[in-house]
Amino acid sequence: MTDPEARHVLEMGYGGSERLTMNMGPQHPSAHGVFRAILTLEGETVAAVDAVIGYLHRCHEKLGESLTYTQYPSIASKTDYVAAMTSELAYVRAAEIVGKFEVPKRAQYLRVLVAELQRIASHCLWLGTWCLDMGGALGGGATVFLYCIRERETVLDLFEALVGARLLYGFHQVGGTRYDLPSGWTDTCRRTIDQIDARISEYEDMLEGNAFFLARAQGVGVISRELAQEVGISGPLIRGSGVAYDVRRAEPYSSYEDFDFKVPVETAGDCYARYRVRMQEFRESIKIVRQVLDGLPEGPISSRPGVKSVGQVRVAKGEGYARVEGARGEVGCYLVADGGAKPYRMKWRGASFSNLAVLPHIIPGHKVADVVAIMGSVDPVFGEVDR
Amino acid sequence: MAPEAKARGFVGELVDLVGAVARAMRVTLINLFRKPVTVHYPDVTRPYPDRFRGVLALTYDKETGEENCIGCRLCEYICPPQVIKVEMLKAEKRNYAKTFTLELYACEFCELCVQVCPTDAIIMMKSFDVATADRRELLFDKDRLHAVGLQFEPSWATGNLLRDMQSPPKAAKTEGAHGKAAGGSE
Amino acid sequence: MPSALYAAIVAFIVLNAVIGMVTYVTLLERKFAARMQSRIGPYRVGPHGLLQPIADALKLMMKEDVVPTLADRSVYNLAPIVFLVPCMLIFATIPFAPGLGVADLNIGILFFLAVSAMEIVGLFMAGWGSNNKYALLSAMRAVNQIISYDLPFIFAALVPVVLAGSLRLSDIAGAQAGFWPWLLPHWFIFYPVIGQLAFIAYIVTTLAAENRVPFDILEAESELVAGFRVEYSGMKFALIQLGEYAHAIGTSFLGALLFLGAWSGPGPAWLGPFWFLLKAMLVFLIITWIRWSFVRIRVDQILAISWKLMLPASLLLLMGSAAWVAWRSAGGA
Repeated sequence: MTDPEARHVLEMGYGGSERLTMNMGPQHPSAHGVFRAILTLEGETVAAVDAVIGYLHRCHEKLGESLTYTQYPSIASKTDYVAAMTSELAYVRAAEIVGKFEVPKRAQYLRVLVAELQRIASHCLWLGTWCLDMGGALGGGATVFLYCIRERETVLDLFEALVGARLLYGFHQVGGTRYDLPSGWTDTCRRTIDQIDARISEYEDMLEGNAFFLARAQGVGVISRELAQEVGISGPLIRGSGVAYDVRRAEPYSSYEDFDFKVPVETAGDCYARYRVRMQEFRESIKIVRQVLDGLPEGPISSRPGVKSVGQVRVAKGEGYARVEGARGEVGCYLVADGGAKPYRMKWRGASFSNLAVLPHIIPGHKVADVVAIMGSVDPVFGEVDR
Repeated sequence: MAPEAKARGFVGELVDLVGAVARAMRVTLINLFRKPVTVHYPDVTRPYPDRFRGVLALTYDKETGEENCIGCRLCEYICPPQVIKVEMLKAEKRNYAKTFTLELYACEFCELCVQVCPTDAIIMMKSFDVATADRRELLFDKDRLHAVGLQFEPSWATGNLLRDMQSPPKAAKTEGAHGKAAGGSE
Repeated sequence: MPSALYAAIVAFIVLNAVIGMVTYVTLLERKFAARMQSRIGPYRVGPHGLLQPIADALKLMMKEDVVPTLADRSVYNLAPIVFLVPCMLIFATIPFAPGLGVADLNIGILFFLAVSAMEIVGLFMAGWGSNNKYALLSAMRAVNQIISYDLPFIFAALVPVVLAGSLRLSDIAGAQAGFWPWLLPHWFIFYPVIGQLAFIAYIVTTLAAENRVPFDILEAESELVAGFRVEYSGMKFALIQLGEYAHAIGTSFLGALLFLGAWSGPGPAWLGPFWFLLKAMLVFLIITWIRWSFVRIRVDQILAISWKLMLPASLLLLMGSAAWVAWRSAGGA
């Protein structure tokens, strides 16, 4: 990888006879974060890809050992910063599983509510950035990007009214949630998701059946069913390849079994199939949000008193693993507790980290322009990858 | 061009293509006539919600005019990035904070310090507008924090309000036993 | 006044007018694109951003001119000029009103099409001289693409020539004067089927010939970061931008002349140039509208469209219009 020859410009044989090593990233308009891909090209076709990560490593797992159970949930949102609610949920659930803490019903419903709203917001960002990569910062991609960001801003406004922050929330705490719904919030929420429902139909209009878009997305980056199960990807990637694995169905948590929603699955395995899966997930999340708002029970939002001191939560000795269905796949947190106020060890399973492992299998054989389309449809967030 | 085109022939494909192009351009045209969502900051500010987590401030008691902070250092201990440093000053009736520094440039705005404060001394404001070219100006000392507290509008959250919102009411303690599946709490 | 001096003055005026128009067309594009994206474009520099192009021009003039160490200096330095000159030269043959133009050649459109294709030389020089892998990839894609699309472009532009029966641009514009029954102007775009198809073919091939989305794979910011221009900064970059937008406006003017009747419009004859400008801006806005609505396609897909779709289609169109003209002159309606 630190091959000194990789730095040279080779003689260009456009007939494909010579191999050219080209570097994409880590600073790059499309890197989706700090990611370095060393591509070996033959003409325009990628022959091999060497992925380099670690540029965003911030020692989350060490922080998990130094911060207590009351402090770390705010930090947990910074792993997958685009879908912060699900990251916090994984950590808090791990602590609750190991410590055998109850969560009141209302808190569970609130957690589902924010998780699904977060999924909508995260998919908005995914669609925008994916079209931006494919279409260009000056072009139709930017148009779709700005429309999606406009919709995402409305969801972030909802979060701002609920929590006070737009991107990194600190909404969850061990035993429940920190905030309850302010008055008038449910009406605003219903209006917002109605508007998003209408706008998604607009995006589908713009993209479905559009020959340019289909040409870029169909048949590109095919992940076969066997490969998907071997490599260990999850989320929309594996559901786009025909495997109906969704943590919300496989191991329901936080009252997901109370809600009626479909898990969209496509079999083609290409970028277009993953796109279809995520667009259907928009609609399913909207359905879930409506069900939560209709059926939200009264009650406490936490089974433990509000945090008054830093060492308030002590988890008895034990270990456990909690997994949630994040927007990108299965986010997991493995916690080893020793009876104190801080975990003995905490490990994150980042969804994007495992998803990126599929890249060296599917990129070779495609053209350079397809690399960005594939990266976009894999939708990595490097906070999760590097932690 | 469209690899998985249905076998409708050249003309059929062309018609599909034209239709798709027209649909996409129609969406852009519709948006051309929508009102832009731009807010002309700083001439116009958007309304901030009640719970907005802005800059931090120390407060005075409304009735007596005394400082609320008793220098208990709970906020210092809970702060995840450890940006708060407090020294307590003991006095006869109650304690004070001798020095209180908050490094706003490293603050995460997580509101945990507000959460734990027993006297509602530290709160957050509904504004973030302290931009400066010199990072040293963001090292807030006690005077600056009190000044910020009088300068902006405070947001809703104080320690007691947050803890009241989170604490289960005494009567409903038994309702926590819901949804107890095997081995898990959810 | 000696005719050479007269021609020089007219040329000077046209050149400056073109440069002025190019800078303000960038503002028009930015505001138009912004409104389509639910935002406002440049707003602060001057009232509603009207001084933004001037600010941009001043900034580019003041920027440092960075030349890569290993760049092929003569090729690198000459490329913006070789790129710009054909893009300016195409305005020489466009008549802005009957008798008002720099040089109304009797092979006007041939000159236009031939000279506008020469920008590819400057483009490739820029890509090669930069000594940069990305620039080189982009320049190769550009050569591929522009050569492939030149043929359909020429055929689409030749349909009005066949319909008008002359290569001289003012003749083509003049052939569109007058009205049909039902007050429909006699513009070539209104000719049944042939006119509309030729206009669509012209727009599509113009997009490709100017490297605009959806055919701008050579700029592909997300992969190649500005393509062949990536090593240019300061005034050289400004020259390249000038050339690109001048070419875009030039083909818009040509499109307005070929299909939308150039200067014919209601009102007195001296309003002609304004109608021409309006129609050219309309064509430019259509191109911009397309640009901001679509994602780009890969270079092999672009070439596939050109050779498998555009070339046969435009050839058929040309033959169809030739057959129609022959039938008409043989005594048909």
